[in-house]
Amino acid sequence: MTDDSDPPDPSGDDDWYGDADPRVPDASAWPDRDLRWLGDDVYLGEQAQIAAEHPEPPAEVTRDPAAEIREIERRLAQQRTPVFPIDLRRRLPLEGVWRRWRALAMWGRSDVVDDFGRDPRATARWEWLFEFLYSRWFRVETSGLEHIPSRGRALLVANHAGSLPYDSAMVMHAVRRDHPARRDVRPLVEDTVFHLPFLGPVMNRIGGVRADPENAERLLLKDELVAVFPEGEKGMGKLWKDRYRLQRFGRGGFVKLALRTGAPIIPVAVVGAEEAAPMLGKVTWFAKNIGIPWIPVTPTFPWLGPVGLLPLPSKWYVAFGAPIDLGRAHGPAAAEDRLLVNKLADQIRTQIQEMIEQLLGQRRSPVLPAFLG
Amino acid sequence: MASSSTGRVVAVTGACTYLGGELLRRLEEDPRYRRVLALDIRPPALAPGGKTEFVKIDLTQPTIDGELATLLDRHAIDTLVHGAFLSHPTHASEWAHELEDVGTMHVLNACAGVEPRRLVLISTTLVYGAHPKNPNFLTKDAELRGHRDSRFVNDKVRAERQVQRFAREHPRVEVAILRFAPILGPTVSNMYTRFLSRPIAPVMMGHDPLMQFVHEQDAAYALQRAVESHASGAFNIVGKGVLPYTTVLALLGRVPLPMPQLIARQLTKVLWTTQLVGSPPSFLDFLLYLCVADGTKARRELGFSPRLSIKRTILDFLGIAAEDGATDVATAQA
Repeated sequence: MTDDSDPPDPSGDDDWYGDADPRVPDASAWPDRDLRWLGDDVYLGEQAQIAAEHPEPPAEVTRDPAAEIREIERRLAQQRTPVFPIDLRRRLPLEGVWRRWRALAMWGRSDVVDDFGRDPRATARWEWLFEFLYSRWFRVETSGLEHIPSRGRALLVANHAGSLPYDSAMVMHAVRRDHPARRDVRPLVEDTVFHLPFLGPVMNRIGGVRADPENAERLLLKDELVAVFPEGEKGMGKLWKDRYRLQRFGRGGFVKLALRTGAPIIPVAVVGAEEAAPMLGKVTWFAKNIGIPWIPVTPTFPWLGPVGLLPLPSKWYVAFGAPIDLGRAHGPAAAEDRLLVNKLADQIRTQIQEMIEQLLGQRRSPVLPAFLG
Repeated sequence: MASSSTGRVVAVTGACTYLGGELLRRLEEDPRYRRVLALDIRPPALAPGGKTEFVKIDLTQPTIDGELATLLDRHAIDTLVHGAFLSHPTHASEWAHELEDVGTMHVLNACAGVEPRRLVLISTTLVYGAHPKNPNFLTKDAELRGHRDSRFVNDKVRAERQVQRFAREHPRVEVAILRFAPILGPTVSNMYTRFLSRPIAPVMMGHDPLMQFVHEQDAAYALQRAVESHASGAFNIVGKGVLPYTTVLALLGRVPLPMPQLIARQLTKVLWTTQLVGSPPSFLDFLLYLCVADGTKARRELGFSPRLSIKRTILDFLGIAAEDGATDVATAQA
C-alpha cells in the first residue's frame, strides 16, 4: 500500500491500467475504491458477493428491473448453444470436486496481478527465500538507502554479475526491506532470462519486467522505481578475471529514458555477486540448442548438477549513490543528442565503477576477502 | 422514432456474428438511426417490425462489390460496419481467404465508389501476433506482425492492411479500426471461448504469459461507440487488467496439462489435422509469449473504457457472476 498517497498522474491516465484492487500493493488509486473486494471469496463462486466494481455513473450501478429483464430476454433469445462450462457444471456430479480443485489451483497466487504481471501473493510466498539469502546467506550490507525517494519515479542503475540474477533480487529486497517507504523495485530483466522456462515466469510474478524501452518508460511514467542493469548479458557473461570491471553500458538507452521521463538516476554498486558465482569459463556448444547464450562453468557447476547453480555464500555490499537529475540538467530534448547520451552513459558508468572500487577497498579481511567480508 | 428523412443509415456486414448481432440490437433501440441493413449469407434473428432489414450478401462472390456499391448508394448509407470475419480458425482456408481478405477488398471497392461517411472495421489484437519481443502493452502503432504460419491471423492482417491503405487514399471517409482483445462472455462463441471450455488445457511447460480479454458486453458497447463517434484510426478494445495464463485456468477450474514445446507442437499438429481440436498449432505461440494491447486511445478518443475487470469477465464466462445475482452486466451501457 506504499503508493496509495501518491498524487494522481495529472494526465488522468494512471488509473486506466490497473485493476484497482486494494490487494495489489502498488495499484494506483481508483476513485472511491470499493473495499468490499477484500471480503469476497472468489474461489467459491457461489458465495461470492461481488459488488459493483467501479463507481462510474451511479445510475448504472443501481438495479433497473426493466434492464435486467431485457438482458435475460436477450440471453434467452440468443439461440446459441449454451456455453459449455455452465452446461458442464450443471451436469457434473462432481461439482464439489471441481470447486475444491479451483480453490487448490488458486493456492499461492492472487486473482489480481498488476499490469506487468506482479502477483502480490506470489511475491509474499517467495519473501522468505529472499530474506534468507539477504540476511543469512549473503549477509548483505546496504548503504545509501536514503538516496531513494519515498515517492515518485527513479531509475536505479546497477552493475550486473553472476549467471542467475541474484543481484537484482537483492537490490529489490534491500529496498523493500530497509527503505522506510518499503517501495517495490521493478527490475528490468534481459530477454534471455525473461524467456527462460520456469525462471522467467517466476521473475515476472515477483515483479520483473522484460527489458524493453516501452515497458521502462511506462513504468517510470507510473512513478515506479525501475532497476536497470545496462551491462545486460555481457555483465552476466563476465569471466572471473574480469570481475568488477564494468562492461559497456548498452547503447545508453537508460540515459535516454531518464532524460525523456525526467526520472533521476540513482547509481547502485553491488559487490559480492561476482564471488557468489565465479565464472571460470563458458561453453557455447549446445547452449544455443536449449535456448541460452552459454553454459556457465563455475567451481560448482556443472560438476554438482543443479545444486551447483546455488550461489556461494560470499559477503555482499550494496551501495546506493546520490541521485543524478539528468532531466533537469539537460532537458528532455537531449535524449535525441547521441553524443551527449553516450557521454552521460559513460559518466555514470565511471561513477559506478568508482563506487565499486571504494566498496572493494572496504573489505576488511585480507584472506578470503570475498567470503568473510 | 425520428422522422423518416432524418437519422443515420447503417449497414453491417457479418450480421450473424456475435458483435454484428449485438450492434443490430443496439441500433434497433436507438432512435437516432433511421434504417439498418443487416448483410450476411443467412438472416440474423431480427425483431419483427423493426427498422432492420436483411439483405443477402455473400462476400465470396466475385462481383459482389458492384451489388454492394448499388446497395450503399440506393439506401444512402452513411456508415458501413465491416465485421464479416471468422471467429474460429477453419480448415476451409481457401474459403476463409476469399471471405476475409478478398471479401474486404470487395467491401473497399464498393466504398471507394460510394464513399460513405464512415467505415468501421472489426479486427482483433491477434493481428499483432505473440512475439518474444512484444512490449507488455502494444499500442496501436505497433507493427502488425501477425503470425508466421497462421492463416487465420494472417488473413485478418491482410484485410487490415487493405483498410489502412484505403484510409490513406480516401481521406474523406472516416475509417476506424477496432482491434478487439479475445472476447469472453456467457453467450459469445469464438476460438478462445471454445479453447477455455475444455476441462483440460495445454500449458507450455515453464511459460506463463499474461493474457487479456474483453467482456462481450464491453466489446459490443465499444462497437456501438465507434459507430456513433467521429474518431478515426486504429483502436485497441481491451478489458481491464491482465492475468497470467495459468491463473486464468485456475479461475476457470481447468486442469493445466504442461507439455514441452516440441511435444505440444507435434501433438497439436496431429490433433488439428485430424480435426480433433479447434485451434491450430500456431496458436501455441499465444501461450508462450505476450500479446497484450493498450486501450488508452480508445478511452481518450472513443470514450470507451471497459467496465468489467478480467476476473469478472472470466467469472461471467463461467456463469458464476450471473448466478449470484450481480447485475452490472444486465445494466450495461444499453
